[in-house]
Amino acid sequence: MRAIAACIGVALLASPALAKPQRVVSLNLCADELALRLADPGVVKSVTWLSQDPRSANMAAKAAALPANDGHVEEALAYDPDLVLVGPFADPASIALLKEVGAPVAEVGAPQTLDGVRRQIRDLAAALGAAQRGEALIADMDARLARVAVDPSRPRLKAVVLRPNGFTVGPGSLVDEILARAGLDNLAQRLDIAADEQVPLEVVALLSADILILDRDEASAPSLADAALDHPAIAALARRMTIVSLPARLWTCGGPEVAEAVERLAVAAARAREATQ
Amino acid sequence: MSARAASAEVRYGPLVAALAALALVAALASLMVGYARLDVPAALADAFAGRSTAAAVVLEQIRLPRAALGAMVGFSLGLAGAALQGLLRNPLADPGVIGVSGGAAFGAVVVFYSGLAGAFALAMPLGGVAGAVVAALLLYALVGRGAGTMTLILAGVTVNSFAGALTALALNLSPNPYAAYEIMFWLMGSLADRSLPQLWLALPLTVVGWALLLASAPALDALTLGEDTAASLGFDLGRLRAQLVAGAALAVGAAVAVTGAIGFVGLVAPHLLRPLVGNRPGRLLLVSGLGGAIVLLVADVAVRLIPVHPELKLGVATALIGAPLLYSLIDRMRREA
Repeated sequence: MRAIAACIGVALLASPALAKPQRVVSLNLCADELALRLADPGVVKSVTWLSQDPRSANMAAKAAALPANDGHVEEALAYDPDLVLVGPFADPASIALLKEVGAPVAEVGAPQTLDGVRRQIRDLAAALGAAQRGEALIADMDARLARVAVDPSRPRLKAVVLRPNGFTVGPGSLVDEILARAGLDNLAQRLDIAADEQVPLEVVALLSADILILDRDEASAPSLADAALDHPAIAALARRMTIVSLPARLWTCGGPEVAEAVERLAVAAARAREATQ
Repeated sequence: MSARAASAEVRYGPLVAALAALALVAALASLMVGYARLDVPAALADAFAGRSTAAAVVLEQIRLPRAALGAMVGFSLGLAGAALQGLLRNPLADPGVIGVSGGAAFGAVVVFYSGLAGAFALAMPLGGVAGAVVAALLLYALVGRGAGTMTLILAGVTVNSFAGALTALALNLSPNPYAAYEIMFWLMGSLADRSLPQLWLALPLTVVGWALLLASAPALDALTLGEDTAASLGFDLGRLRAQLVAGAALAVGAAVAVTGAIGFVGLVAPHLLRPLVGNRPGRLLLVSGLGGAIVLLVADVAVRLIPVHPELKLGVATALIGAPLLYSLIDRMRREA
């Protein structure tokens, strides 16, 4: 085993095999999606069951064709993997166990900037021996971002994000940058809060935003956390501001799909401008 | 103790009026206090004029249901606590302590995560009521009439932990992979961001529960003379038990389905007010309900004033007050025994 190679986006906790990994197992939803986008066909042997649900995952069609795992080390080892992908909140005991049995581990993080997204794609592509595919993915994402033209002369619309359980998203987060790319000012910056914090609904109602962004999937399993987004006060506010639902799968993982989040928000911004004129 | 209690007794009518007035003041305070600076008179004017300004929406759709639910749930918990204590003749019989609230939470969780709640609107409160009925029946089967404190508390521990385990099982089986995480926010009990439709759904079941409990007052007074005497006075004890279990299950079950399990209110309110009604369990009912409403509304105002982010859960606040009281009650009973 060589020394630990750590990068910001993907921390290689054990040395990657010199050759391209041939049996990759992913134990995290976000790692599943990136691996399915980047790896050669047939290389990814197993992904988590979460990424097989088309309501909450971006690569569900590809993922559904593979055997699912529940994120346990034991399941990963059954494939005799030459690379195991884990998420940012993986149990340290799991990682230690993987290292002990000699399985190379790569950690997929949760990037907080668009640059971090690019770096993470690049790093994982390198670990998978698919550098070219990584560059193509980044170029495609950047092209989509570039097409969302924001006219700097027009005043920026004010937006606020409401996530399940009444969380909003503050400055210094990937979502904050996504909003800025779509030509929106994040009102949460005025609230003196951290990157992810709960806000009372009445504060959201009185912020006088132009756009209220609800983090919600189109059709999902019953969720108490989502119930906050069904509050009648939000319906009453719809007469005063544009409300847009943005599914969590577009901006939770920080993969190339964030480009679609920016596109959707830009469309909503255009709609809000029409409504106010 | 009985001599002290008797000397503290005050006239019933003025006591009820004073408590009702205090509850009203607490409800108004709940309307006024919040996180956003809200011009309440202006919002009220907008609301009455039918203008849906942001201020009017906040007052009508967020603050009003919060205050009304606080009063309703507090009344239910205080009343149910007093009634159960009268029935079991034990001052520790709080819906939370003995597991009725836990059963209600299980019922509501099953209904919600199975998707039944989307099928018809009343499903969730009814699920809470069903869970509370099962818990109350289980408990009554274990404790029976006039059982010792030890049996009651052990039965409560059993019902509570069984309900908790079943709730966790239901969450694991639910189609939502994040159910177990989000339930943490709910099980501790809170009135934050509840809505008017939730109030309207829970209210009818709750009012029926209140009526059943309040109507049992004469029988509960007779029961203090012993079961045989009460029976000889013409009270059907079997019917009384059914009435109280049904009433408590309706009031507590509907409340828990909306707010999650808020503990100790049914313990604190009767304990503070019992001396004022001369230890008459019948008179304690209405008084304790009003006391419960005051306790819950004040606690809910307090959690919004304490500068802690995110908001302190209401069930945490009531436990901080109630758990030491329960401890001292048990300690006193142990030394008196």
